[in-house]
Amino acid sequence: MAKDPEHVHMEHDHMTIPKYLGVFAVLVVGTILTYWVATIDLDFIFPGANTLVALLIAFTKMACVMLFFMHVYWSPKLIWLAVVASFFWMAIMFAFTMADYFTRATGVFTT
Amino acid sequence: MSAHASDKFVYHEPGLQHQFEDMKQQEESVSIGMWLFLAQEIMFFGGLFTAYLVYRSRYPMAFAAASNHLDAFWGGLNTLVLIVSSLTMALTVYYAQKSNRNMQVIMIILTMIFGAVFLGVKGIEYTDKYHHGLVPMAGLNQRVKADKNAHHETEKPCWEVDRNAPPAVHPNPRGEFLWTDCSLAKLAQDENILTPSERFGYYSGGQIDIEKFKGIVRIFYYLYFVMTGLHALHMIIGLGLMTWLLWTAWKGNYNSEYYMPVEMSGLYWHFVDIVWIFLFPLLYLLGRHFNH
Amino acid sequence: MQSADVIGSGFSETPKLNYLTNGTTLKSWLLTKDHKRIAIMYLISVSVFFLMGGIYAATIRLELLTPASDLLETGTYNKVFTQHGILMIFFFLIPSIPAVLGNFLLPIMIGAKDLALPRINLLSLYLYWLGGAIALYGLMQGGVDTGWTFYTPYSTTFSNSYVLAVGVGIFINGFSSILTGLNFIVTIHTMRAPGMTWFRLPLFVWAMYAVSLVMILGTPVVAITVLLVAIERVARVGIFDPAIGGDPILFQHMFWFYSHPAVYIMVLPGMGVVSELISNFSRKKIFGYEFIAFSSIAIAVFGFLVWGHHMFVSGQSIYASMVFSFLTMVVAIPSAIKMFNWTATLYKGSIDFSTPMLYGLGFMGLFLIGGLTGLYLGAIGLTVHLTDTYYVVSHFHYVMVGGQVVAYLGGLHYWWPKMTGKMYSEFWGKTSAMLVFVGFNLTFFPQLILGYMGMPRRYAAYPPEMQVLNIFSTAGASVLGIGMLMPVVYLLHSLVYGKPAGDNPWRLPGLEWRTSSPPPTENFEKMPVVTWEAYEFGEDNGLDLEEDRRRDLAPVG
Repeated sequence: MAKDPEHVHMEHDHMTIPKYLGVFAVLVVGTILTYWVATIDLDFIFPGANTLVALLIAFTKMACVMLFFMHVYWSPKLIWLAVVASFFWMAIMFAFTMADYFTRATGVFTT
Repeated sequence: MSAHASDKFVYHEPGLQHQFEDMKQQEESVSIGMWLFLAQEIMFFGGLFTAYLVYRSRYPMAFAAASNHLDAFWGGLNTLVLIVSSLTMALTVYYAQKSNRNMQVIMIILTMIFGAVFLGVKGIEYTDKYHHGLVPMAGLNQRVKADKNAHHETEKPCWEVDRNAPPAVHPNPRGEFLWTDCSLAKLAQDENILTPSERFGYYSGGQIDIEKFKGIVRIFYYLYFVMTGLHALHMIIGLGLMTWLLWTAWKGNYNSEYYMPVEMSGLYWHFVDIVWIFLFPLLYLLGRHFNH
Repeated sequence: MQSADVIGSGFSETPKLNYLTNGTTLKSWLLTKDHKRIAIMYLISVSVFFLMGGIYAATIRLELLTPASDLLETGTYNKVFTQHGILMIFFFLIPSIPAVLGNFLLPIMIGAKDLALPRINLLSLYLYWLGGAIALYGLMQGGVDTGWTFYTPYSTTFSNSYVLAVGVGIFINGFSSILTGLNFIVTIHTMRAPGMTWFRLPLFVWAMYAVSLVMILGTPVVAITVLLVAIERVARVGIFDPAIGGDPILFQHMFWFYSHPAVYIMVLPGMGVVSELISNFSRKKIFGYEFIAFSSIAIAVFGFLVWGHHMFVSGQSIYASMVFSFLTMVVAIPSAIKMFNWTATLYKGSIDFSTPMLYGLGFMGLFLIGGLTGLYLGAIGLTVHLTDTYYVVSHFHYVMVGGQVVAYLGGLHYWWPKMTGKMYSEFWGKTSAMLVFVGFNLTFFPQLILGYMGMPRRYAAYPPEMQVLNIFSTAGASVLGIGMLMPVVYLLHSLVYGKPAGDNPWRLPGLEWRTSSPPPTENFEKMPVVTWEAYEFGEDNGLDLEEDRRRDLAPVG
C-alpha cells in the first residue's frame, strides 16, 4: 500500500462550498429534529423508543460529519477499517458487559 | 534530522521529514496515524459510555429525572455552535487546499470563536449547577445559609415536588449535592413500569426513599460532569491546536501542496464535535418527554 | 545482485559513524529522533524497573520461606506484592519487547530509515519516564496496597495508600504504550522497503502489529478506568462504590477489558521473538508462515472477547461466564497453532544450540505449561477451587516470565551483536540460559502444587505443612535471580572486552543482518530492495553455506 499511487495525495476537488453547506444544513435539521422528537412521548411504540430515535439521528449526524467533513468517503480502505474497527471494538465492550448485566439472577442488578 | 548523511545528497521537498522518501508517503503515514489516534479516543470515551449504558439501563427513571434538570436549550444551542465550528473547520481545510491564505485565517478565527462560545455556554451551565446544588462532589456547590423565615418546602414528600417548576434554591450550608424530587419515580411506580433493579435501587422499607434516589441521581451528575468535563478538556486542547494553526496559517505555510497539519487538526476538531453529537441526546434529552 | 551489495556494504575501509557514535553529547541522546537510540534508552529504563520489581519479588520469596509472617508485617507484605506487580507489568513487561526490541528492529526489519513518526516515538519515551517517575514517587511516599488490579471499592474508598499517584503514573504510561503501538502500525503500513510485501515480513513484525492493535484499542479503556478510580478517590463520589449505588463489578469489566488483552501484550511479542529464533537457529524456513502470522492477529482479536474469565467468582452472571469460558478455550487454538508450527520447524532442522536458541526452546517448554494451566483456569467449575490460589500465580508467571521475559532475554542475546557490535561470552550466555530455565521451573512448579493444595495468594503466612514446597520455590527463585543477574554482568563486560561481532554473526538472511553492526543512523547505506522470501536460507540469498558446513563440523563450544 505504501507505494500505491492511488491513495496518496487525497484529491481535493470532491467537496465544494455548496456541498459543505448542504451537509451543514442536514446537521442543523438533525439537531432541531432530535430536540423536537425528544419532547414527544414515543413510549406507545415500545418503551425506550425515544432513545432509539435520538440515537438514530445521532448516528446519521455522525455519518455526515465523518463521511464529508472528515473526507472518509474518499479515503483509503485502511481508514475505513480503522473507523469500523474502533466502533466494532466499542460494540464488543458494550455487548459483553451488558451480556453480564442482562443475565444476572431474576433480572435484578444486585450490587 | 540534519545529522543524516543521506540528507546531504538527496533533495528534499520543504516539509518532508527525513525518514520518508516522498510527500505521498509522509501524508499517508500522518493520516493513518491520526485515524489510529482517533480510534483510541473512541475507545477512551467508549469506557465512559459503557458506564453510562450500565447505569442508564439499570435506573432509567432516575436518569430521566436527573436529565430533566439539565437545560436542553443550552445543550441544543451548544450542539449548533459546534456544528457551525465544524463547518468553518471543514472550510479551513477547503481553503488550504485552494491555497487561499486569507480565507484560511478567517475560518480558523471563526472556528476558534465558536469553540470559545461553546466553552462559555458550558461555563454558564456549570455555574447553574453550582447554584442549584447539582455538583456531585460535596462542598463544591454554592453554600446557602438556612433561612429561618422561609417556608419549609422540603417538608413536602418527595413525590409531590412539581418537577416542571424551576428548581428552587434550598438551604445548603455545606455545599452538598441536593435533590428533593422523586415524582418521576412515583409516576413510574403508579404506572407499574419500575423495573426490579429500580425497585432495588430506589426503595427502602417498601417505598421510595429519597436518599437512595438521590444517590442514583448523583451518579448521573457524576457521569455528566466527567463526560462533559473530558469533552471540554478536548475542546481546550483543540483551541490550543487552533492557535498554533492560526499562527502557521498566518505565516502562509499551507497551500494546495502542503496542508496536512490543517487536515489533521480538522479531523481532531470534527471528532470532538462527534462526541458532543452523542452526548447531547444521551445527557440532555433522555427524559424530556415525561415533562409534557 | 542487490542483496549481496547490501551485505558487502559493512566492510568499507573508512570507519563510518554508527548510531552510537553519531553524536555523543547528552543532548544528542535526549533529543534524538533515532529509533535505535530511543530503544537503548528504553532498554536502560526497563532494566531499572525490572531490577526494582525483582527486588520486590526476592522479598516476597524470602518472606514465604517460613510459614509465619516474620520478615514483613502483613500490611507491608501487601505493599510489596502490589508494587512487584505494578512495576513488573506496567513498567517492565508491557514496554519490554515492543519498546526495546520492537523499537530497535522493526524499522530495520522492514527496510525503513526510522519509524514513521519519530517525534511521537520520543514523546512516548518521555511519557514513559514521566509516568514511571510519578509512580515511583507514589512508591517512595509509602506505596500502594491494593494489588496491581486496583479492585474497587477497596482502592477507591478504603485503601489508605498512594493509589492516586500510582494511578496517574499508570494513566500517563498508558499513553506511552498507545503512541508506541500507533507508531508501529503506521510504520508497518507505509514504510516497507520496495519488495517487502506483507508475507515477506519477519514474523516478529507481525507480532508487533498484533500487539499494537491491542495497545491502541485496549489501553485507552484502562486509562479512563484508572482516571475514574482517581476521581472517585478525590471526589468521594462515583460509580464503583456499592455504598452509593455503584457497582464494583463494572470496574472489573472495564479493567479487564484492557488487562486481559494486556496479557497478550505480554506474550505476543515473546511469540514473535521465538518465531525468529526457532526458524533462524534451525536454519530452516519457518513452517506455516501464514498460520503463525494470522494466529498472532487472531490472538489479538480473540483476546478481547475473554476478559470475563477473571470474574467467574466475582458475581458475574453465570451465563456470561459460560460464554467467556467457551471463548477462553477458543484462544487456545491460535496459541497451539504457533506451538505446532514451531515444533514442525525444528523437525529436521539443523539446530544450533546457541544462547538465544536455548532461551527460545526454554520459552516453548515454559509457555506450554503456562498455556495448558490456563485451560484449567478457564474452566468455570475448576476455577472455583483455584481462584486466588498459587495455581493462578504460577500460571501467569509461566506465561509472563516463562514467556515474555525468557523471550526478551533470548531476543536481547540474539540481537545484542547487532545493537552493540560486540559478541558476549557464549559460555556464560548458555550457563545463564540454563540457570533461568532450571531456576524458573524450581520456583514455579511447586507453586502449581501449592495452589492445588489451596494455598491462597497475597497472604504473608501459610500453614506449616506447606513449607517444604515453599522452600523449594524460594531456592528456585535464588537460582532464577542469579540466572537473570548474570547477563547484566557479561553483557556489560562484552561492551568493552567483547569480540567484534561482524555484521552477520549468525549468518542469517533477514534485513537486519544486511546492515553494519551497529547500524548507521539511517539504518542502510542505501534503500534495500527485498528480493527474497522471509527465512530463506540458501546460497543465492547471499549466505555463505560453506561457512555453515565448516561450523557444523567444528567442535561445540
